[in-house]
This record gives sequence, C-alpha cells and structure tokens, in this order.
Amino acid sequence: MGQILHIIKYKILSFTRFESDLTPANVIKNIAGAIIYSAFAAGSFIFIHKFIAFLLVDIKVGLFLLHQFISIIFYILFITINIGNMIVSYSTLYKSNEVTHLLSKPVQPVKIFLIKFFDNFFYSSSTLLMIVFSILAGYVYYFSLGIEAFLLLLINSVAFMLSAASLGVIILLITIRAADRFGIKIVLYTLASLYILAIFLFFQINSPKTLVTAVMKYYPLISKDNYLSELIPDIIKFLPNEWLSQSAYWLVKGNINNSLQYLVYQILLTIVFLGIAATLGYKWYFRTWLLNTRMNAELSSNRNSSLPLFSFRKTSSLSPLSDSVLKRELFLFMREPSQVFHSIVFFFLVVIFITSVAGINFVGLGNYNLQTMIYFSIFIFNLLFISTLALRFIFPLISLEGEAFWKVRSSPVNPSQILFRKLIPYTSIIIIISIGVSYYSNHNFTPELILVAMTITLLSALVIISINFGMGGLFANYKEKNVIRLASSQGASLSFLLNIVFMLFLVITLYKPLSQMFLFIMIKKEFTFQMFYYNLVPVIVISVSLSIIFLKIAVNSLKKDL
Amino acid sequence: MLKLINLEKKFGSFKAVNKINLSINKSELFGFLGPNGAGKTTTIKMIAGLLAPSGGKIILNGFDVWQKPLESKKKIGFIPDQPFLYDKLTGREFLYFSGGLYSLSKETIKIKIDELIDKLKIGTWIDKRTEEYSQGMRQRIVIASALLHGPSFILVDEPMVGLDPQSAYDVKKIFLELVQNGTTVFMSTHSLNVVEEICTHVGIINKGNLIFQDNIDSLKSMINGPNKNFEDLFIQLTNEE
Repeated sequence: MGQILHIIKYKILSFTRFESDLTPANVIKNIAGAIIYSAFAAGSFIFIHKFIAFLLVDIKVGLFLLHQFISIIFYILFITINIGNMIVSYSTLYKSNEVTHLLSKPVQPVKIFLIKFFDNFFYSSSTLLMIVFSILAGYVYYFSLGIEAFLLLLINSVAFMLSAASLGVIILLITIRAADRFGIKIVLYTLASLYILAIFLFFQINSPKTLVTAVMKYYPLISKDNYLSELIPDIIKFLPNEWLSQSAYWLVKGNINNSLQYLVYQILLTIVFLGIAATLGYKWYFRTWLLNTRMNAELSSNRNSSLPLFSFRKTSSLSPLSDSVLKRELFLFMREPSQVFHSIVFFFLVVIFITSVAGINFVGLGNYNLQTMIYFSIFIFNLLFISTLALRFIFPLISLEGEAFWKVRSSPVNPSQILFRKLIPYTSIIIIISIGVSYYSNHNFTPELILVAMTITLLSALVIISINFGMGGLFANYKEKNVIRLASSQGASLSFLLNIVFMLFLVITLYKPLSQMFLFIMIKKEFTFQMFYYNLVPVIVISVSLSIIFLKIAVNSLKKDL
Repeated sequence: MLKLINLEKKFGSFKAVNKINLSINKSELFGFLGPNGAGKTTTIKMIAGLLAPSGGKIILNGFDVWQKPLESKKKIGFIPDQPFLYDKLTGREFLYFSGGLYSLSKETIKIKIDELIDKLKIGTWIDKRTEEYSQGMRQRIVIASALLHGPSFILVDEPMVGLDPQSAYDVKKIFLELVQNGTTVFMSTHSLNVVEEICTHVGIINKGNLIFQDNIDSLKSMINGPNKNFEDLFIQLTNEE
C-alpha cells in the first residue's frame, strides 16, 4: 500500500505542477474554465429542473415513463463509459512509457494496474462526474428531496460508473488473452459485434415506443406515476442502469426501503466487478502485458499494411500537399485499431439515434406551445449529438499531429493549410450526419419547419465544429496519442460546455419567432419567412463571429513554440 | 548563407540565448558546440521556425526566416534531436508525406528515395511501420526526409545520437559530400571527435552566449599548454564563462 501511495503522491505532484504554471495564458485559461464550469453547473441544474417539469407537467409522461427514459439513457452511458475505459486502459496499461518504466522497478504489476485503472477512471470521468453532480442536484431540487437523497443518488451514480469502467478492463484483459489464442482480428470483430448486438437487443427488448404505447393503454385507469413492473422486461430488471433509475424512482415515491435495495444491488455489483478486475489484474496483468508485446511483434512481422487504392506511391489529381495530408490521415486512422473499433461502435450508436428520432410521434397536436417545446427538444437533442461527434472527431485533430509535428512546422507550408485539409473530411461527414439527423427527426413537421431546422442545424454544426477545432488548438497536447483521453481532457470538457452555452443562446434567440411560426401555421394564417429572417440575423452574426474567432484561435495555436 | 543578428530567446526571465551574432558562409560545415542547456537546441529550433525568437533576426539566403518563413524553409533540411515520426506510417510513406510538403512530384520522390535507400542503407526496413524502428533507424529516416528536397542548408541537432558506428560513419560521409557539392551544414553536437574530424568552422555557446566562433584551425591552434586536446580546451572555454 505504501508503494501505491508513494507513486500516487508523485503523480499528483506532477499533475498539480503542470496545471498550476503561472503563465498568463494558463491563468486566463483557468479563470475562463472556472467561469464556464460554474455556468454549466448552474445551467444543467436549471435545465434538468425545467426539463423534468416539461415532461411531467406539459407532456404528462408520468413518473414511471420518466424513469424508464432515464434508465435507457443510463444504458447508453454505461456502454459509452465501458468502451471508452477499455480503449483508454489499453493505451495506458499496455503502451505507455510510464508503465514500462514502473515495470522495470521492483513494483508488483497489480499495483501498477490498480493505479492506472483509477487514474483512467478519474481522468476520463471527471467532467461526467461534474455533469452528474449538477443533474442530480436539479433532480433532487425538483422533487424536493433532501440532501440524504442527493448523497444516495450520487453514491449510486459513482458506483454505476465504476461498474462500467471495471467491466471495461475485465473485458480488455480477457480480450488480450483470447487474442493470443484466436487471433486479434477475430477477437476484435467478435467483440465489436457483441457490443452492437447488446445495443440492438436492448432496444428490441426495451423499445421506448412500445413502452409508451403500453403505458397509454393503462391510462387513465391507472396513474402514469404508478410502478408498472409487468411492463419492464425481466432481463432489463437485472441491469445496473435500471437499478439506478429505480432507486431514483422510489426515492421520489418516498419508499426509501425500495430505493436502498437498488442501491445495495448497485454497490454489490461494483464490488464484484472491482474484485474481478483486481483479481484478474493480479493474475493476468503482467502476463497479458508480455502477451501484448509478443503479439505486437508478431503482428508487425506478418503485417500487410498497405491500402493499395490509396498508396502514397500512386499519383492523384490532388495537389501533392493535399494528397499527402489526406493519405496520412487515412492511414493513421485506419491503422489505429482503437480508432476503428471506437468509430464502428460510435457510428452504430448514430444509426440507433437516427432511427429512434425518426420514430418520434407527433405529440401535442393542436397545442402550438407544446409543439414548439417538442421541436426545440428535438433541436437541442440533435445539437448535443453533433457536439459529441465534434468532441470525438474534431477536438483531437490538432493534438493528433503529435510529436512529429516538427516535420510540418519546419516545412515550407503554412500549418493552417495542413489543418484545414485535415478538417475538411471530418467536417463533411459530421455535416452530412447532422443534416440527416435533422431531417429524420423533424420529418413529421411541416416543410417550412423542416427547412428551418435543417438550416439552423447546419449553421450550428459549423459553429460547434469551429469551437471544438479552436479549443482543440488552445488545449493541444502533442504528447497524448490516445484520442479518447484527448476527448475527455479538461480542454475537451470546456469545449463541450461552450457548445452548450451556444445552444442556450440559440434557444433563447429562436424560441419566440419559432413559437410564432407554429401559431401562424396552426391558425392557417399566411406565414412570411421574412418575420423569421429578422430573428435569424443575430444568430447568423453571432455564429459567423464565433466561427471566425475559434478558427483564428486554432490557427494561432499552430504558431506556438514547439 | 546564414546570419544570426542579435538573436535572443527568453523563457520568462530566463535568457536561453543571449543576443548572439553569427555568420556562416556557403559550403561550410559548421559545428555548434556547447554543454547541456547552453542554448544549442533553442538556437536551432529558432532557425528551423519551431521557436519564435524574443529578439534579433535570422537571415537565410537573404530571407528573414520569421518574415518570409516559407521561402527560407524551402532551402532548409532540418534534422531534430528527437526523431519523432508517425508511428503508424512506414518509413517510405513518411518520406512520401515529407515530399508532399515540399510539393515534389511522385516521380521525383521515388527517384530520391531510391537514391537515399542506398546512401543511408535503409532498404531492409523502409516498408515497415516506424513504430517498430530503433532510435538509429528513426534517425536515418529523419535524415533521409531532410535530404529529400535537395536543400542548400542542412540544420542538424545532434545527428549521431542513437547511430551505430557504421551509420555514424555513413552520415559523416554524406555531410562531407554535401558540403563538397555546395551545401552548408549547421550541426550541433556533443561529440568533439566529430567536430574535429569533419567541421570546417566551429561555434561554442555557453549559458546562451556565443563564446567562440572561427574556423577549426583557429580552434586547433589554441590547443597548447594545459589543453592537451580538444576536450581539455572545450572544458576550459566553457568553465571560464
């Protein structure tokens, strides 16, 4: 234990010194960071409070459905934390110089395993923990629950996240051992298929649409607040996301015993997963570290790494600069298994998301106020989704230039030319997905509203991409190779929070003209787009200004000393 | 060819390079010596365009490196002290990428790579990913990438680190050939033997100040009395400051 504390002490020392360098840029960054974090915490608190009110009072979904929706969101969160932790753990437990250094010292491998596991968890989940903290505060405040309820939910949430992370490293250790036996490609494809299957089956068994229809059948005979146990498929009742939402539900209903029962399940599961992870770490970590080293060596000797169609040797119609930059990007992406694996699962989630939003029923017909709210909810949901994509694919772009950036910087090209060439393919993909999501999620509305939604989504996507690009430059870390760690760093969190601030600005600016538009359409009065354009002007001005500012930040970051 | 005029670099209150003035002519092989932390890498990085000077000017071939960076960078072949490459690219792909940065055609790159494969003896592993390379292999790929576009000025930071004796010999031979063909080489090194063996001119930097600059013969003439060799002389000069 003394050794673990010793290592942690020096890790903390190095981290705090790195973070507290008193340079003017760092001071500004930290102050700005603190302001954005506080604003975001307050914003999430207010948002969740209003959102619950909207769902329960305006749409009247009832307590039972509300908590089933929460359960579904937590399932996605569980999968995200789980995969993220697995990928980050692979890079930090098996490929980091720090681990190589520690393994050459008389330190038991299991201690290194545990230190790195918790390091990953708290590093990658710190922002998520803060968001959870604010959301729980908003939730507890809305239902007038006490501080005890808040603490119980917080413990439950942390245990839930720890379970997901522990399961991630368990799967990682098993994967490496299985890869040694069956081959890395087969194991990785199987694993990706299993995750996709897990998501697919969950939505098949527990479709939100079916659930809503089933609840409506009972209504108004039975209150929508009642716990309708028979509507929850049996297998779902054994999942930690369900325990978390059930624990919250019973707290709201004032049944502390039931709530505690689910909390106990959650904690027990966390202990079991942590125990298994620690045991496997004790038994397998060093062995798998050696296996991984050997497999990598074997893989490299048998590797046929060319992508003949895009070979560097082939001439193309592009300029030499564009050709080499785009090919480099493609090869670096395709040859990094964690990038490919994470992207496959990520894009499967995109498909799930698109098909889910496409099925949103037209609720609240005849109530223009309610329809506007629904329209906005879909809009915010889409923007949150675009932010996630931008955070994952745009924010790390500059950092991913890596330590080999010296080559670009010492060459006769303007680094911004390179980076914009890098940016274009990712931007195009995100824009296409954004437009697609916007269309499918709004296709029940009138053509005018679909057009407005798509235009604003396009504009917002460009701003969100610029924000992430700029923030990625401001917080560039050329030494970090892991894209997930980059996308969950402090800079990435701030970038995400800035996106939220921008979304709030959009909602505030556009709410009035859009609700007017709904009213006009509802009463069949002629609607002129000019009315809307006047309100669109400030949105365009701010959006363009923000984009220019953040693109400039990105370009300036490239001139920093290397 | 290269002129450093009152070149200065400060990191906060610390002066890493203190208003140095230096002039290097065409076809010189200039050895830049100095103890650890003297300011060698900082100076080289400023010339390469990786660190912005706090004051002064760097003129290369008549162009101010920081006013007309693209024009001057076309003439420079830079070899850094740490041979960082893209791990997932092969050596050959890295060279094609480098060629693209200089807008070279595929045909030119191919010819140059074939030429460099022989010169630097990189043929056996050039098509393996660089993540599998040793330090010396990486260093040779970096040297190849610096020579790819036929620069007239080579800027090298510690070129012999990680190289085995044969490779070090090959690299020295390449530099000498280049200088004979009119290229200028600016090389920082810790190896006094290398300086003595191949450099035509020498500069010594200590604590950010340039304390010696002349041709190698002038330095050699200072070896007398208690300074029995280059090493003694270097220690004496850097301790005097």
